[in-house]
Amino acid sequence: MDALRKAAVLVSLGFATAAIAQQASVKILSPAEGSKLDSMAQNRITYEVVPGPKGDHVHLYLDGKETAVLRQLKGSRALDTLAPGNRSMCIKVVDKNHTPIGVEQCVKVRVE
Amino acid sequence: MDPQNLAYALTQILHNFGAVAVTGGAAAARWFVQRSDRRRTLAWLVLAGWATQAASGALFGAISHAAYGQFPDIHGIALAALALKMGCAATGFGASASVLAFGERWSEPRRTLAWSALVALAAIALCAAAFLSWFS
Repeated sequence: MDALRKAAVLVSLGFATAAIAQQASVKILSPAEGSKLDSMAQNRITYEVVPGPKGDHVHLYLDGKETAVLRQLKGSRALDTLAPGNRSMCIKVVDKNHTPIGVEQCVKVRVE
Repeated sequence: MDPQNLAYALTQILHNFGAVAVTGGAAAARWFVQRSDRRRTLAWLVLAGWATQAASGALFGAISHAAYGQFPDIHGIALAALALKMGCAATGFGASASVLAFGERWSEPRRTLAWSALVALAAIALCAAAFLSWFS
């Protein structure tokens, strides 16, 4: 009976771990919030994504406009030339139908 | 099993069978079937196929809206591909309905032209679907 109980606990823990592992998330590793970027430099955005059960890939947005479809869940992407000023970059997890599932991260940067 | 993914999959089944109907039906009538009664049956199949394409396409958007409160976020090439697919569906539906309504009064070259146009519309829609899937 003890063995059965232990097995049940282990199975429950396994399901719980799997559920936690599947939580969708986005991390923009760089640039950091509030950082300053050089408009003349080749800037990149580096990110890590867990799509979760509903997500499939991610879209990159610059100032609210979609600029790229990113199929890699971890990596970096060169940004188009950035005009000087305050800029907002977002990465949104989308489903197979390209619909944002509500998991995203945005950073605001200053381009000089 | 995620309900949205299940809904998308079931809709995709409808969409795929619609694609088979519009392509296969038009190609069969254009090259392999000459009897008018059988061509008429194929015209009904193609008409139903285009209706299915349009309805299932709309359903993809509706599922997104029901699940997340917004439609798919597509731009540029994908948006152009979607517009092309919608144009093909509307034209294909109209053309197949015309074949059903008036086809028997048309000359054979005109009927052949109509079926060729339906094959072309199906091929264009299939190509556009690939761009819609892989661009955004």
